[in-house]
Amino acid sequence: MVERPEDLNLPNAVVTRIIKDSLPEGIAVSKEARSAIAKAASVFVLYTTSTALLVTQKNKKKTLTAQDVLLALKEIEFEKFVEPLEESLESYKKSQQNKKEQKAAKDKAKKADEEKSSSKAQEEPMEVQTTDGDKENTDD
Amino acid sequence: MSENDETRSTNKENNNLEESSGQSQLGSNETEVDVDSVEVEKGSGFLRLPIARIKKIMKADPSLGIASQDSVFLIAKATELFIESLVVESYQNMTASKKKTISKRDFDSCVESIDSLAFLDGAIYE
Repeated sequence: MVERPEDLNLPNAVVTRIIKDSLPEGIAVSKEARSAIAKAASVFVLYTTSTALLVTQKNKKKTLTAQDVLLALKEIEFEKFVEPLEESLESYKKSQQNKKEQKAAKDKAKKADEEKSSSKAQEEPMEVQTTDGDKENTDD
Repeated sequence: MSENDETRSTNKENNNLEESSGQSQLGSNETEVDVDSVEVEKGSGFLRLPIARIKKIMKADPSLGIASQDSVFLIAKATELFIESLVVESYQNMTASKKKTISKRDFDSCVESIDSLAFLDGAIYE
């Protein structure tokens, strides 16, 4: 895998935003310190990932799971993150679920619309539909 | 003490890190609501770091096969918390002096003095 420096860096603007929000007003961070913090964050991602993968492998699994990550964080002495992370994960899962449901509802509505318009089109000869006057749709 | 602060900070509870007795430098366009909004964001799972980029970094590890979406989210969120705690630690190191800017040296001494940051030793090159 070719390691391109940009790929392994986090976006500057976002990191700066997070840094700023963590500090009281009037406190600045030097460019060098900011850069070091951003790099440290990337290293953290790698470090947590590899520790989590060890957990995955120990359990003889192939997929890195949320549980693996949480366990890893305890192992690398970041247990204080676990509780807030579990809360965040709950919210995240809920919002993902909502998105799925919204999409499913949308798709369903779209399908219903399509069925409506195709049965309407019985009045005009449509090459797509059969000409047997088949108005009934079999509902499973 | 000053009634000004009370009328200004309707959203803010006593979360102030700094004792600003009339010394609030509004150089940036930050409002005092920010401290609270960080906590609200934590609770609601709001994520700032891009998941795709986090995943790219994770993939630098050759032993990574498949990662669940939740696991990538957790690592992204954990990294945000990590940045925050790193910054706060560096800042706390600094409050003894009268400085207003966190320098690379503050960062370095932070890394040297905190056990959980030992993994960073030698990992950051300038």
